[in-house]
Amino acid sequence: MKAFTIAGINLRRFVRDRSNVFWVFIFPILLILVLGSAFGGSSDPRLGIHNAGTGPLAADLVALLRDQPGLRVMGFESRNDLVATTERGEIEAGLLIPGDYDSALQSGVPTSVDLMTRGEEEAQGIRGNVQSILTQQSVVLRAAGFVASEGVGSFAEGLDSAQLASARIVEVTVKVSEVGEQLGFLQLGRFDSSAQQQLLLFVFLTSLSQSAALIQTRRLGVARRMVSTPTPVRTILAGEGLGRYAIALLQGLFIMVGTLLFFNVDWGDPIGAAAILIVFSLVGSGAAMLMGALFDNDQQAGGLGVLFSLGLAALGGCMVPLIIFEFFAPTLFNIAHITPHAWGLEAFDALVIENGTVVDTLPYLGILLAYAAVFYLLAIWRLRRVLTH
Amino acid sequence: MRQAWIIAAKDLKLRVRDRSAFIVGIIAPLGLAAIFSSIFNPIENFDFSATYAVVDQDGGLVATQFVGGLEQFGAGAEIIKVATRKEAIDLADVEPFTSGEGVDAAFVIPPGFSDAIQSDRPAELEVISGPGGVAASVAVAFAEQFASEMTFARIAVASYESLGGTDDRLSAGLRALATPSPVSLEDLHAANKELAGKTFYAAGLAIFFLFFTVQFGVNSLLDERHAGTLRRLMAAPMRRSSIVLGKGIMSFVLGLVSMVVLIVATTLLFGAEWGNPLGVFLLVVGGIVSALGIMGIVAGFAKTAEQAQNYSSMLAVILGFLGGTFFPVGQAGGILADLRFITPHAWFMRGLGDLAGGNVADVFPAVGALLLFGLVTGAIAALGLKKGLQP
Repeated sequence: MKAFTIAGINLRRFVRDRSNVFWVFIFPILLILVLGSAFGGSSDPRLGIHNAGTGPLAADLVALLRDQPGLRVMGFESRNDLVATTERGEIEAGLLIPGDYDSALQSGVPTSVDLMTRGEEEAQGIRGNVQSILTQQSVVLRAAGFVASEGVGSFAEGLDSAQLASARIVEVTVKVSEVGEQLGFLQLGRFDSSAQQQLLLFVFLTSLSQSAALIQTRRLGVARRMVSTPTPVRTILAGEGLGRYAIALLQGLFIMVGTLLFFNVDWGDPIGAAAILIVFSLVGSGAAMLMGALFDNDQQAGGLGVLFSLGLAALGGCMVPLIIFEFFAPTLFNIAHITPHAWGLEAFDALVIENGTVVDTLPYLGILLAYAAVFYLLAIWRLRRVLTH
Repeated sequence: MRQAWIIAAKDLKLRVRDRSAFIVGIIAPLGLAAIFSSIFNPIENFDFSATYAVVDQDGGLVATQFVGGLEQFGAGAEIIKVATRKEAIDLADVEPFTSGEGVDAAFVIPPGFSDAIQSDRPAELEVISGPGGVAASVAVAFAEQFASEMTFARIAVASYESLGGTDDRLSAGLRALATPSPVSLEDLHAANKELAGKTFYAAGLAIFFLFFTVQFGVNSLLDERHAGTLRRLMAAPMRRSSIVLGKGIMSFVLGLVSMVVLIVATTLLFGAEWGNPLGVFLLVVGGIVSALGIMGIVAGFAKTAEQAQNYSSMLAVILGFLGGTFFPVGQAGGILADLRFITPHAWFMRGLGDLAGGNVADVFPAVGALLLFGLVTGAIAALGLKKGLQP
């Protein structure tokens, strides 16, 4: 009973501090919104086009490129803007169509378009796309040039006959078949993977920042006064832990329900999702208790808390999806599994990507419970010493 | 002035003893930079390579041309390996993203393809690829390019024949293919003003945590008020402005030291490339001045030290995220990409990028923007601080 009173006081302290409302409820949702709308959508390479030409051929080239799948085309009014945007890496490549594009082509004069890149790999695909469209577009003109060079007719005659031929001739076509499944995280909705990552990141971050409150309780002597009352130390520790746990759970629940309502995020089987949250909050609050037990200066704990919670989150796949680790850097994928975050994300994968139920998450939940147990045991051992000696 | 220096020196000593500023200003950003660079470097340094299979069921001239073209396509043959085989390929052979064993995409040239092309019958190439990825899109682009070439050869030969050309189709077609295209695609190399991953994270974290470091100094004014030492300082025979100036000097030094340590450490440890030292120095000074101004406003108008700390960390985090210190907001495009320029962080990052792809003069707009931030917010902060220092 007393444990609940202590937990209640902790919760009240937490809610009274209005800035907590921002950190716990507003900021995560804002971040999911921003990350999801900015980076959750298409990852197709971006091609900026500055069209200085005025004729139909130039306009046609732009239209053909816009219709090209796997390419995001953006128009630029100013050449300088396009150059600067390409240089700053905000788009992968920039295409400059010259002002005399139409007139040159129609009179049989060779011309060129410039493709500006920073020499990166993404530009390879774009280059191929542009080249292929250019070849398509210049078929008739090139045929006329060929006829003229063969000496069987003039360029104008060649143009006429090539136009007739192109209406008659059957095009050589390409059939594209895709095999294999899309990578799991690509199947996820715009906000889904970011919501899972932020949930784990923030539950852990908020928990660790709560270690400051525990340090203050100790520094102000509140903890010692509680010990002097007829209250067993285990009750005090249970109360402190429970308070922290309630905060972590509250925030996690808010993020889950909020993103479900606002962004329609798929959390998979509700019981499974709830189980992950319940267990992961235990890990977070355990880590907070441990930090609160180890440090005596709340400002130092605050700084290190940010370092640990962001660092572990980054390492654990909350910033870059784990599958990317697996593909690009297998060692890192193994290292990631030192963090509880990676196991939490694996548990969500089992639910959302593999459409599993709570049963499928059990192995991961077991590992997470082990983390929580270690954190809590160490914290209790240390706090007992600090409070009673 | 002398008093201001004494106050600054005393506060610096306090900060050094407390170690919190050290943790926030140096340990946390350096630790995160280490983690971020270990995560993002392998991804960034991953080289594109693709293995394609050509299933040549035709065995004619076209297939030979196709393989030759494929090997030349793109940056060069070393990134594209081509395995030719005659037997049919199983769809399951073309599993995506199986570097090593499988292939990224397979091209199927059906039986009779070469003949079909020369006789104007329908002809179709097949590309079997994994879903998405650069390798797949390069494969599709090449196949389409090749098909366009073949269509061109048909049209060119047809108009050649209609105008009375008499040479046989195959040699006419090959000559047609040798005719240069009237439009060529020229490659322009753009200057690279995008910060490389290891530099981006080092710089982003440094400027992000700079605001917290500076906040330590600025908020110490409120700590003094809370502890009652501010009144004693005001009773001392010196101007009130010396107190504010002293705090300002101390915060500036704190910020400068942490930035210099971070710049040197990330350069040596993680290979970050900050660029021309003079340009970097100007940007750092601009960044500190803007941080002083913004944190000064909070200190000037907050009622308690606790409130000031809450608001200033809120502000530092929002401005930092919006300003693109954690992820490149500029790449998102849209409103967000424009909105970021209301933060000093975005100007700092932009300045570093421009410096990387240009010279010292290129940082002037960014430094100007940062100083302007500092000036405007500093003026507002001065109003608030003046009120706060009334006895």
